[in-house]
Amino acid sequence: MTFEIELGGRSRRVAIDPAGGTRFRVTIDDVVHVVDAVRVGPSGLSLLVDGDASLSRYAEVVAGPGGESLVWLDGQSATAMVDGRRPRRHRGDAAAHAEGAQPIVAPMPGRVVRILVAPGDEVAARQPVVVVEAMKMENELRSPKAGRVKDVPVSEGASVDAGRVLVVVE
Amino acid sequence: MWHRGEVEPERANEPNPWRCPQARTGSGKWEAGSALMKILIANRGEIAVRIVRACREMDIPTVAVFSECDRHARHVREADQAVFIGPSEAAKSYLRIDAIVDAARRTGADAVHPGYGFLAENAAFARACRDAGLTFIGPSPEVIAMMGSKTAARNAAIRAGVTVVPGTEQPFDIRTPDEAIAATAAAIGYPVMVKAVAGGGGKGMRVVERAEDLVAAIRTARSEAGAAFGDTSIYLERRIAHPRHVEIQLLGDRHGTVLPFVERECSIQRRHQKVVEESPSIAVDASLRRRMGDAAAALARSVGYTNAGTMEFLLDADGSFYFLEMNTRLQVEHPVTEMVTGLDLVQWQIRIARGEALDVDPERALTPRGHAIECRIYAEDPDQGFMPSPGLIRGLRPASGPGVRDDGGVSAGYEVPVYYDSLIAKLATWADTRDLAIDRMARALREYQVLGIPTTIPFFQWLMGRAEYREGRYDTTYLDRLLLERRGESFAEIDAAGEELMTIAAGLDAYFRASAASPASAAAAAGVPSLWLRAARKAALRE
Repeated sequence: MTFEIELGGRSRRVAIDPAGGTRFRVTIDDVVHVVDAVRVGPSGLSLLVDGDASLSRYAEVVAGPGGESLVWLDGQSATAMVDGRRPRRHRGDAAAHAEGAQPIVAPMPGRVVRILVAPGDEVAARQPVVVVEAMKMENELRSPKAGRVKDVPVSEGASVDAGRVLVVVE
Repeated sequence: MWHRGEVEPERANEPNPWRCPQARTGSGKWEAGSALMKILIANRGEIAVRIVRACREMDIPTVAVFSECDRHARHVREADQAVFIGPSEAAKSYLRIDAIVDAARRTGADAVHPGYGFLAENAAFARACRDAGLTFIGPSPEVIAMMGSKTAARNAAIRAGVTVVPGTEQPFDIRTPDEAIAATAAAIGYPVMVKAVAGGGGKGMRVVERAEDLVAAIRTARSEAGAAFGDTSIYLERRIAHPRHVEIQLLGDRHGTVLPFVERECSIQRRHQKVVEESPSIAVDASLRRRMGDAAAALARSVGYTNAGTMEFLLDADGSFYFLEMNTRLQVEHPVTEMVTGLDLVQWQIRIARGEALDVDPERALTPRGHAIECRIYAEDPDQGFMPSPGLIRGLRPASGPGVRDDGGVSAGYEVPVYYDSLIAKLATWADTRDLAIDRMARALREYQVLGIPTTIPFFQWLMGRAEYREGRYDTTYLDRLLLERRGESFAEIDAAGEELMTIAAGLDAYFRASAASPASAAAAAGVPSLWLRAARKAALRE
């Protein structure tokens, strides 16, 4: 079974083949590891890499809110994108080069505190365009790309649900 | 279905088996010295859990309240009883005075602990509790109202002889002539801050170093403030160049004793929100501590303050300190004070509310033993500009071990709601010295595991490694400046070997999910000894 896994900003081709019992041949971009893997609970993985006991590791992998895989290992967490299930953080990068109108949507229910742009304004990539208060914090939402503000379909003070379009940049 | 311990509406008026009949006087008012028998906690999350813990240690039954989305919240499970009070929006549940007072009546609770936030500094709530014959665990409604007003609190401080940040008492509206403002600025002393009365987020705020720049600064501040807030009124304040936020915890009993505690240092702030607190402050020595404690206690005595409260000060690099405001409640960061004094502030709040005298040695309260640090673990993604990250917590393993305290408010299987503050836990460490407390915090952060949603843990791991933090070289502007310099790099610093292992883990996880085959059962079926066993045998042979 082969997966395309992006982690830490690098994409790797990962092939996994059973090698008998709890052993698997894990090939990462032509580097082969023999890994003994045992499931621990619903999300834990006990790993013994290349038969070397000093490389034994415990990891947990769960699904994140956007369908990405969240990996925990030795006190560190990382987001992994398996077969193009793009974690949220990459959306902005992709959108930066996107043609056409890009909506900026409310990531969660909240209240529009300030609108920082008006239709017709020129905006730079990552320029803050609207401030939404959610979970008692003011959150600046930024333009995914450089362009012109096409539409601002909300007004200051409005309560918005998650997914509501706040500003459109083209 | 109702939870065990929840109050069914039709049974709510039955006699409460915990009620002590002699506890109430005929008038329905509490006598000084009477024992509180049952406490309703008008809050949620970690602070509600914290209060349940104090009550349980004192053998006092507790009543939790909860909104729709909090039905499975941890505070509901931990309390002896829980009452549903309304929809998820705070305004329809945790902020509803009538629903909370009614919940107390229905469950026979005789006291209310407000925690912090929500109704904790709402004088009308304290009054409603008093009117309903409930003991409000906090100061009187009159004192809450007075210290809750910035100008009234500032005037009370001036009357008590406590220095405030020099500035104008009244705002200047658009009609005030520039010459009048310039005269005031000269009296305050440069550098001076021009601030919009309606200001916030740095808008309408200008630093003026020299008198000749004042008029231009007033113009810009007024125009920014007018555009952003529709109000061009401004005021002036002395600019404190490198301020630290240092605060003094107080307890006051009903017999006139007011006790100041060793200070807390809360200068690590992101957009004026505290994220790391410690006690003691690296910038405060014993003599300054005594002076700050005396000032805070004098102000508290002058307003007849009772129960727990905190005076916030700005501390200048030259050791001068200025009163900022008072919080008439328990603070989020109270654990660090408890760790360096060994005193339980929540238990003392309850004891004071039932009329006990504060019989704590004042020197003990003012003398830190060791050093404590707290990190506020928020459901926020530090790599996404600290955007809130509500969602399902799939796994949770808090840190433990020597010198570690976890004040958690969530559990695995709980969905962090979008409706409230995103604080999910407070992790605090204690050690003999500040250096050791930082080392211990770094260790505890590494142990702390929250699965399913991003949290601020990687940010704190990064911060604990910063030399300026370790050396105590920071003020209230430090963190915002530091974050501004970053260009979207991840706070999690994972090396190549770590990435390789994480990729292996992610790949195997995807493989197992796709094939839905349990590797363990496959091994058993095949009868193949695992590499684990082989490694163990090899190790055994070597011995």
